[in-house]
Amino acid sequence: MKRDYPNQNHTLFPGSSSSTPPLLPDLTGKSKMWDEFNEQDTGVDELLAVLGYKVKSSDMVDVAQKIEHLEGVLSNDDGLSQMASDSIHQNPSDLSSWLESMICELNPVVQVQLPGSGSIAGSLVGTSTSPGSAGIDDLQAIPGDAIYPPTKKQKSLSEDNGNKTYSPNPIVIIDSQENGIRLVHTLMACAEAVQQDDMKRAETLVKQAGYLAVSQAGAMRKVATYFAEALARRIYRLYPKSPQDAPAFRDLLQMHFYETCPYLKFAHFTANQAILEAFAGKKKVHVIDFSMKQGMQWPALMQALALRPGGPPTFRLTGIGPPSGDNTDHLQEVGWKLAQLADTIHVEFQYRGFLAESLSDLEPAMLELREDEVVAVNSVFEMHELLARPGAVEKVLSAVKEMKPEILTVVEQEANHNGPVFLERFTESLHYYSTLFDSLESSGGGGGGSVESGGVAAASNQDKIMSEVYLGKQICNVVACEGPDRVERHETLAQWKTRFDSAGFQPVHLGSNAYKQASMLLALFAGGDGYRVEENDGCLMLGWHTRSLITTSAWKLR
Amino acid sequence: MLHTHNNILERETKREKHNISINDHNDILIEVLQRLDGRSLAAAACVCKKWCSIVRNDALWEHLCFRQLSVPPSVGVRSVVLALGGYRRLYLMCVRPVVSRLKKRRSNGGHTEVVRRLWNRNEVELSLSLFCVEYYERLLLGDGGAVGGGESAAKSLRFLCKTVNV
Repeated sequence: MKRDYPNQNHTLFPGSSSSTPPLLPDLTGKSKMWDEFNEQDTGVDELLAVLGYKVKSSDMVDVAQKIEHLEGVLSNDDGLSQMASDSIHQNPSDLSSWLESMICELNPVVQVQLPGSGSIAGSLVGTSTSPGSAGIDDLQAIPGDAIYPPTKKQKSLSEDNGNKTYSPNPIVIIDSQENGIRLVHTLMACAEAVQQDDMKRAETLVKQAGYLAVSQAGAMRKVATYFAEALARRIYRLYPKSPQDAPAFRDLLQMHFYETCPYLKFAHFTANQAILEAFAGKKKVHVIDFSMKQGMQWPALMQALALRPGGPPTFRLTGIGPPSGDNTDHLQEVGWKLAQLADTIHVEFQYRGFLAESLSDLEPAMLELREDEVVAVNSVFEMHELLARPGAVEKVLSAVKEMKPEILTVVEQEANHNGPVFLERFTESLHYYSTLFDSLESSGGGGGGSVESGGVAAASNQDKIMSEVYLGKQICNVVACEGPDRVERHETLAQWKTRFDSAGFQPVHLGSNAYKQASMLLALFAGGDGYRVEENDGCLMLGWHTRSLITTSAWKLR
Repeated sequence: MLHTHNNILERETKREKHNISINDHNDILIEVLQRLDGRSLAAAACVCKKWCSIVRNDALWEHLCFRQLSVPPSVGVRSVVLALGGYRRLYLMCVRPVVSRLKKRRSNGGHTEVVRRLWNRNEVELSLSLFCVEYYERLLLGDGGAVGGGESAAKSLRFLCKTVNV
C-alpha cells in the first residue's frame, strides 16, 4: 500500500519537481505503523497532514534537511534496503523525530548535528570513527560549509522559511536530479579541502566526485570529470609536465575548437573588422600576429582588403609562435600557404615568421619595421600567459608601444582565473567551463541538424571531442598547476583595461559593423539562439545565455 | 537580336510547325534560367546534357548570387570569387546556407516576412569571407593537390547545412 507523493510537494522540494520523489514513500509503505493519523494539528503543515505526517511548520527546514541528508546516506549504501524493511521505526507521522531515529540507526556511533540556519563549520570534522573505511563514515565527515553552505541553500529550502536563495552565477546543471547538485557540492568541498591542505579528506572527496560524475550525462559529466581529474593531479602532486604538448598538437586541438563553436571565429572576425577599419586608406600595411598558429584569421582579412574600394594595399604579415620542437618550421609552412592564397586573390604579400618561446623575448628591432607602413598588432588568447611571470606583460606592452601600432587587437577569456586564493579560482573556473561545455553540447558538434551524411556526423563528433580535450587541458592547467607552469591566467576585461590604461593605451570602439557581422555569424551556428553578442563600452563580448565568455577589445596609443 | 530570333522562329514554324525547340536557342534558355532560384537551377541541370552544360556555366550562378542585391558588387569581386573556386561553389557552399539560415532565424524571431527579401550586402560579404576561409583550409589540408576540385566543403563550413551537389 504505497502512498503517492503529491505533486504539490513544493514546500519541501521547491526546485526538483522533475526529480524522482524521495525514498520516503517506499520505506514507509512497508512499515505497519503507517495508518496512524494524528489529529492534533497545532501549527502543523497542512499538505503533509493530509498524508498523515505531522510536521510543525516551523520545523519544515529542519525536516527537509534531514530528509536530504538521509537520502544521501541511503543512496550510498547498498545493503540498506534490506535493513529498512525489517526494522520498526517510531511513529512516522512525527516526521522530525522519525528521521532522527532513522539516521541514528544507520550510524549509531556518529551523532549528526544538522544545522538550523547556521553553518557547522568544523563540528563534523573529526567525528568519523573508523578512519580506514570509505563510504558513509567518510561522508559524515564532510564539513558543513561545503554541503550546507549557509548562504547557498538551494532546492531543499522550504518557501516559508523566507530565505532568499543566493546564487551569484548559477552553476549550470543539466539534469536537476539530486546527484548533480551533490556532485557540484562534492567538487567544491574537495577544492576547499585542498585549500585547507587536508589532503586525506580531499582524496576521499575526489573519489566520491568521480563516482558521481559517471552517473551524470552530457556536459555536466564531462566538466566534472575534467575537474575531478585536475583536482586529483593536484592532490597526488602528479603535475602535468611543462611544456605539456607539442605546439603542433595544441594547434590541432585549437583547429577542432575553431570548427566546432563560434568563439574563435567571432574573435577573428571582430578583430579583423577593427584592423580593416584602422587600415582604411593606407597603402602599406603590416600585421604582427602574436598568435599565429595556423593563420586562420588572415584569409578573411586578406579577402576584405582585396575587395575594399581603392584596391588592396601591400600586405605584410609577421607571425610569432613557439618553436615546434621537431625541427619542422611550421610557421614558415603556414606562411607559404598564406602566400599562395594571396597570390590567388591578387594581394601583394610578404611574410616573416619568428620563433619565440615567450612573447617577452620579442624585440621590436628584430621586426624590421619600415617608416611608411601602418602597423597592427594582434593577440588572440595569448596575453594571459604572460601573467605567469612577473614583469612579462609590462615588457611586452612597452615593446608593442615601440612598434607604434595604429591598433592593437586583443581577444581574451572573460573570467578571473588568476585570483590569489585557490578556492576562488576553482569556483570561478567551474562556472566558466560549465557554461562553455554547455554551449558545446548544444552546438551539436557543428552539424546544423539538417541534411547530414553519416560521414559528416562522425567527423563533427570527433571535432567536439577534440574541442573538449582542448578545454580540458585548460581546466587542468588552472586547477592543477602553480607558479610559472600555470599559464591559463585569465582575467576580466576590467582588469585588462586597467593594465592597458596604465601602459599608455586608450580604447578604440569596435563599431557597429563588427557587431552586425558578429551577430550574423552567430546566427549561422546551430544553437545560435544561445549565443549572445554584447557591446560593452566599445568592446564586444560573446557569451552563452547570460554569461559572457570571451571579449574582443581594440587599443591605440594615447 | 530579337529580330533575328523572330525570323528564325517564323522560318522554323513554317517548316516544321510543331517542332520548336528551346534547345536551339541558347540565349533564350539562359534568359529563362537566369530567373530561377538555386534549387530549380539544380533540377534544370538534370534535364539533359545540354542543359547541364549550360547550367554549369558560372555566369548563371554569379547572376543568382548577386541579382537580389540592391547595389551590385564591386568590380574586383569576380576575379576573387573565380580564383577561389567560382560562383557555383560560392552559392552552394556559402550563400545559400547563409541566407537560408538567416531567413529561418528571422521568421522564427516573429517577423512574418515570408516574402522573398533582398539579400543584403552584409550577408554576401560574410559569405565571401567564409568562402575564402574555406579555400585556405583546403590549401592547408589538401597540400597542393585538388584545390579547386573537391566537391565537399572543408571542415570550416561544416557548421552550415550540408549541401546537395549538382
